[in-house]
Amino acid sequence: MSTTTRSDGRTYDQLRDIMIVYEGLDGVDGSARFGFGQTQSLTSVSGPMEVRPNLEQPSQATLDISVRPLVGIAGTDSKALSTNLKAILAPALFLSHHPRTLIQIVGQALCGTESGSGLGSVGKGWNATLVASLINATSAALVNASSVPMKGVICAVSVGRFPSASAATLVLDPSEAELPHLVGGGCFAFLFSSALPLTPSSPDELPPCSLLWTNYTSSVVYDDTELRQAQALAEEGARKVWAAMKESVSNMERTAQCPAFNRFKSAKTESRVKKDTKNLSESEVDDDKMEI
Amino acid sequence: MPLVLPGEQVPAAHVNLKLGPGLLQLSSVDGKSSVISTRAGDLNHSANRSKWWIDSNSRRYIPAPQESVIGIVIARSGENWRVDIGSAHVASLDGLAFEGATKRNRPNLKVGSLLYARVSLAHKDMEPELECFDAQTRKAEGFGELKGGFLVNCSLKMSRLLMDPTHFLLPLLGSRFPLEAATGVNGRVWINTKDPRHIIAASRCIEAVDPDGGGMDEVGVKKFLSTMDV
Repeated sequence: MSTTTRSDGRTYDQLRDIMIVYEGLDGVDGSARFGFGQTQSLTSVSGPMEVRPNLEQPSQATLDISVRPLVGIAGTDSKALSTNLKAILAPALFLSHHPRTLIQIVGQALCGTESGSGLGSVGKGWNATLVASLINATSAALVNASSVPMKGVICAVSVGRFPSASAATLVLDPSEAELPHLVGGGCFAFLFSSALPLTPSSPDELPPCSLLWTNYTSSVVYDDTELRQAQALAEEGARKVWAAMKESVSNMERTAQCPAFNRFKSAKTESRVKKDTKNLSESEVDDDKMEI
Repeated sequence: MPLVLPGEQVPAAHVNLKLGPGLLQLSSVDGKSSVISTRAGDLNHSANRSKWWIDSNSRRYIPAPQESVIGIVIARSGENWRVDIGSAHVASLDGLAFEGATKRNRPNLKVGSLLYARVSLAHKDMEPELECFDAQTRKAEGFGELKGGFLVNCSLKMSRLLMDPTHFLLPLLGSRFPLEAATGVNGRVWINTKDPRHIIAASRCIEAVDPDGGGMDEVGVKKFLSTMDV
């Protein structure tokens, strides 16, 4: 594994700052925004709720997942991602506890790729880090909703592979600037649950984890040793994501928007109050810098 | 009261163990059983460690038997009423499930009426059923139609706080103006006062004290009320 630092000064196994905000969106039962640095996604969850008869299943809840990119309409890659997300969520939720109901999940990318990674349409694709942020946002939104029973929490990270003559150079959480220089990579999604059997490598504070899904690909030939190295690196990163989620749950109520408070302030000052973002501890992305 | 994420192991063990909301007992292949959490929240247990549960907030009501809920009548199907209680399925209320109701003498409900009812049957495979009388005494005991007033939606934790007799909000509002209130555990509160301004003040205070809306405390509510014309 290379020990050279990357363009933004990180080591190979260092994640960018994780940001988790529980948005408290109206009209849905749970919502969360998750970001690895600038790469952010927003997901909302509603359910268990009424289901149309054609989607109804007699012994379990139906998952209806829509995924939207930042720019343009949801195309084939978004549709494929929502199918993958359904396969990732099914083993993590107790769907049989609420038969003949609907759990509706809507995922929204909050940043495009300014680099043009080459995956899908230029500038509009779903790169591995964005996919990881979407999976984590979905997980956090389900935790926020607290209405669908969960077997565990799903944590995902992305791994990138730089070209090198000798062994594979794997890095955790490649940023947008690093994407054009990668020859391979993918997202790894892990389920952290005490329902899984204990493994000798699992630390005491965290529940055991198991890999649910990956889309690791490479444009150069690779073997299963490299895949196992990538999985091991991703597992370390996923543990950090789990720890960040656990810490964010203690702030869940405080990070909600307070419409009543804003109305109270406007009643006192008799002027229109600018809706200020509540987040005090986590870093916030400036609206001007967000790609539209 | 440690905070747990879903999927974490819970050290609940007792001869007469009772698991409340948010906990599930799983048996593994080798015959051992363990208790895991199924939602995020504060892990609590009773003094003798026989009852364990997770305290969390949500906005979607899951019906459970013997809970008092506020329902909205949405349709009539023969002898029964179809009532919306905020759950995934519409609940069913028998037309005769009222105190002293007979075939000739039954309450005259309309579509859009509000009801204070008790969930008598809640099973995941069946639609929930309601009754408008107490289970033991078979008398109304406050259940039945709610006439007039105004319905406020809140989170489930807020409705549990309002049902707690030691919570500050309803007595505080009641000391300012005469107020009639009914709270359902399905996140709905019915308020009735003579003056519409009092209804608006009460509903704004409920939204402010709601954990989803900022969780205002008693001092804040007193200041808030002083800005309103009550």
